[in-house]
Order: sequence, then C-alpha cells, then structure tokens
Amino acid sequence: MSQTIHRSVAWVFRALLPIVTTFRMLIQDRFALWGLSIFGVFIIVAIIAPWIAPYDPFAPMMTETGRLMRLAPPSSDHWLGTTAFGNDVLSQLIMGSRVALRVGLVAALAVGFISTLVGVISGYFGGIIDDILMRMTDVALSIPTLPFAIVAVGLLGPSVDNIILVITLLFWRNGARIIRSVVLTERERVFVKWARAAGASHLHIILKHILPNILRVVFLWVTMSVAFAVLTEASLSFLGLGDPSITSWGQMLNTAFASGALRSAWWWVAPPSLMLIALISSLYLIGRAYEEQTNPRLKDHS
Amino acid sequence: MRAYITRRLLQAILVVFVVTTIMFFMFRIMPADPTTMFLEGGMTEEARQVLLEEWGLNGTIWEQYVLYMGNLLTGDFGNSFFYRKPAWEVLFPFIINTLWIAVPGLLLGAFIGSALGMIVGWAPRGGKVERSGILLATIIRGAPSFVVGIGLLAVFSSYLNWVPGYGMGDPQGQTGLMRYLNWDFAHHLILPLCAVIIFFIPENLLLMRSGVVEARTEDYIELVRAKGVSEKRVAWHAGRNSMLPLITWLFPALAETIAGIVVVEIVFSWPGVGRELVLAVVRQDYPVAQAAFFLLAIMIVLANLAADLTYSKLDPRVAYK
Repeated sequence: MSQTIHRSVAWVFRALLPIVTTFRMLIQDRFALWGLSIFGVFIIVAIIAPWIAPYDPFAPMMTETGRLMRLAPPSSDHWLGTTAFGNDVLSQLIMGSRVALRVGLVAALAVGFISTLVGVISGYFGGIIDDILMRMTDVALSIPTLPFAIVAVGLLGPSVDNIILVITLLFWRNGARIIRSVVLTERERVFVKWARAAGASHLHIILKHILPNILRVVFLWVTMSVAFAVLTEASLSFLGLGDPSITSWGQMLNTAFASGALRSAWWWVAPPSLMLIALISSLYLIGRAYEEQTNPRLKDHS
Repeated sequence: MRAYITRRLLQAILVVFVVTTIMFFMFRIMPADPTTMFLEGGMTEEARQVLLEEWGLNGTIWEQYVLYMGNLLTGDFGNSFFYRKPAWEVLFPFIINTLWIAVPGLLLGAFIGSALGMIVGWAPRGGKVERSGILLATIIRGAPSFVVGIGLLAVFSSYLNWVPGYGMGDPQGQTGLMRYLNWDFAHHLILPLCAVIIFFIPENLLLMRSGVVEARTEDYIELVRAKGVSEKRVAWHAGRNSMLPLITWLFPALAETIAGIVVVEIVFSWPGVGRELVLAVVRQDYPVAQAAFFLLAIMIVLANLAADLTYSKLDPRVAYK
C-alpha cells in the first residue's frame, strides 16, 4: 500500500518536473517574464474581482438629483466613467476578467486533454486507429472556426458553458496533430523499445515513458489554447452571441459599438480593448519564448 | 504524382461530404425547429404542407437529407426564408465583396509582413530592432481584429473624419465592374482593408523572421558570403529560402483567417459573406447560413489542397505517397 502511494507520488513529481523546468526556462526570457507577470495579475484580479469591484456591474448609477448617469466621464466616484445605461465601467471591466479567464482556462484544459488523448493514441498505436483519428482531424480542420462557433452558439443558445463547449470542439484538432507528431518520434526512442521488449504494458509505456516527455508540448499547446479561447469568446460576445447574464469585455465593446458611443465615450471603449490586447499578448509572449528556447536553431548563440 | 493528386482530390471530396453532413444535421436536430418558427399560426394544413415542400422540410429527416444533398450537387442551396429567393442568388454578391477585402488584404499583409520580418531577422541578435520588432508584432498579434477595427474607426473615421466607416458606398446606377472602379468605393474600402492587412502582418513577420534567423546559420550562407557577395544579396538568398514555409502557410491562412474577416465585416458594416452569415443566424435564415458555411468550408478544403500540391511541387523531399 505504502509502496503504491510512494510510487504515485514519485510519478506526480516526475510529471511535474518538465513543467518546473519549463517555468525556469521561461523566466530567463525577459518577454516571457513580462507575459507571465501580466497573466498572473489577471488571475489575481479575476479571483478577487467581487471584492474589488466598486459597484454591481449591472446596477444603474444615479446622480444626486435622482437621474440616470448616462455616459458620465471618469470621476473620483467612477474612475472609468459610466456606460450609456448608467453602469460603472470599472466594475464591468473587473468582473469581465472572470469570464475571460474562466472560458480561457476551462476550454484550454479540455482542449489539452482531448488533444493529448487523440494525439497519444493516434501516434502511439499507429495503423488503422491512427488512420481513423487523423481522417477525423482532417474533417475537423476543414471547419471554419468562427463561422462554426457563430452557428453553433446561435443554435445552442448563448451561455458560457455552450461557448466553452464550442471552443473545445474547435481547437482540439490542431493540438492533436502537433502532439501526435511528437509522440511519433518519442515512440522510436531506445528506452521505449527496451520497455516494450521487457514486456511492459502499453499503458505503462504511455504513462511512464511517453507522457512525461511530451508534457512540455502539451503545456505550450494549452497556453496557446487559452489565448485562442479568450479571443473566440471575445469575438462571439462582440458579435452579440455572448452570455447576456454576465459582463465580458467583448460584450462591453458590443454594447458600446451598438449604442454609437465610439466617438464620445473613449473611457467605455478603450479599457476593454486594452485588457483583451494585454491578456492575449501576454499568452503569446509566453508561447513565443517557449518556441524560441526549444528550437536550437533559433537560439541566440552569440 | 498523378496518383497523389487523385488521392488527395478524393480525400478532399470526402471531407466536404462529411462537413456538409455534419452541418445539415446540426441545423435540423437543434432545438430551434424552423417549421414552428416560420409558419404563422392559423394556417391551413394544406398551406402548411405547400410551404414545407417549398423549403424541402417535409418527410423524414433522411428524406430531407437525401433531397438536400441531391440539390446541393446541382448547385441548389434552397430558398432563403428571409429574402424569399434562392440562397445562392442572395450570397453571390456578398462573396465578391468579401474577396475585395480578403485577397488584397492577405497579399499586402503577407508582403509587408515578410519584408519587415526580413529586416527583423537580419537585425543583430538581442539588439533594439529585434526586441522591439518582436514585441510589437506579438502585441499586434494579440489584438483581436475587432479591437483593431474599432481603433481605426475611432481615429480615422470618428475623430479625423478622413474616411467613411460604414458600408461600401452607393454605386448609383453603376453596373458590372464599374460598381467597384470608382473613388467612392475605394474610399470606403480603405479602412476595412487596412484592418485586414494589420491582421496579417504580425504572423507573416514572425514566420519570416524565424526563417531568416534559421537560415543565417546555414552553411550555404557562409559560402555565399565567402564568395564576396554583398550583404544585400546574402539577405536575399536567406530570404528566398524562408519563403517556402510562408507560401504554404498562405493558403490555409486565407481560410483560417476568415474568422478575422467576419468581425472586420461586422465592424465596418461591410456587406460580405461573414456578415451575412451572422445576420442569417440571428434571423434564423437557415438556408443562407448553411450555404455561407458550406462556401467557407469549401474554401478551406481548396486552400489546403492547393497548399499540399504547391508544397509537393516546391520541396522535392516531400514524397507522393
């Protein structure tokens, strides 16, 4: 019993090791460090959002004379002013980080899981299983992403869960391809052949010899998937297909755009735009540094 | 080679077939049933049947499926619920409008992006040009295209009032090609086209830069330099070889970046396929939505096919299995 526990703890450590080394590699790159810091700030803000948002994001703000505060410019009470419906922009902005990260992280984890499952099975077993899975991937790769998301969310109904489902259905395909190609090379390595010759089960080989070696690629793909998921959610919300019961940055831009506030209310339009750019770019900075560090031909030798 | 092309073509046809099937069942199985939505109450049963037949909605789902696929083969996408005319007729003008921003946008974006990528790639490693080039490209890449569009609109249309930010102008009785070859159209085209170009630049830049950086360490570059060729010619040698991944990237990119073009069309109210798809979904005009989706999927399949065939022609190492 204690031995099994000991073994599983050892496995967890071995599995975490590549992530730790990846992290150490990343913080050596200045851009990646910025990316990680910005992403970290977004996570903290999203966690404590309900406590730091000054008002309810949907509550109409009233002036002292009891009139609705429409499009009020930034002031000491409302740091980022109000919307055309009298809502506090800063509160909406802070609460919006929750939606972005919830969709981004949940969808990316689901995408990572499915990509890894398909990629490993396809690459490790090969043959007819590989053929079937890869033909499925071909079909999935021919589906135009945003048009599919628009149609699917339009038909399923706009809710955060449906948006996450649609994003997962869309982005597993590229990851599966990438992970499969890594598994193909790992499968041919000497220790895998020895393990097989020694009579190790497929599950044992996959868990102990393949998975720890491909975790870095999975990690990169999950990082990029967070960016794609945030972007897709924002685009859907901007097109008016977001969850109407919560505020997201795409939705803020949709309302601002639809009510023609582009010219007058910069405080309503600029903040959600900048938040989206900051969040998505921070993820790309992490991903880029990762590619740069792992590709020896790109590494700076000077 | 011929066997490879045939095999690849058959595969593409199979993919189109499967995607179309998925799409058909997606629209029919979903809770929103078009028959209940578009048939007004108080209609006689005969009138209802006539309407259902007109839209190909009578019979079992399998009969509908066979009918739909059969019609598709003859180029019949069904009739639009909203416009009350064939979906193909509705979509055709929108396709041309989309191509007006998509094709020049992609080509100019690829050209500007790869030119800038060459500069960044040849800049000293770890220097100012390289660092700021990469940082800027990554930030622009991280900007959703509707954010770029809104920014352009706010500055050049609302604030400076240089260009219109809505629609594509009024052709005023112009027909044929003359609808597009006038100053008013060009004036309307500038902003959405810029948004698409900006959308394509960073990816091209980063791709070209990686290619050049990799090529810099290759032996043949040393050889060229040892022959006493000027640095400019050396850069050209490295750049030309980095073009290969770029060319093959271009075709699938056209398809993949339809996503960016859809939102650009919405931001600038540009009457293209993407905007029409969104409107059709909102109006629950399924024949048009299905047809638009089908056209976009076909575009992706053709683009991937073209990419594979180009690649096999350009790179002799690719085996025609």
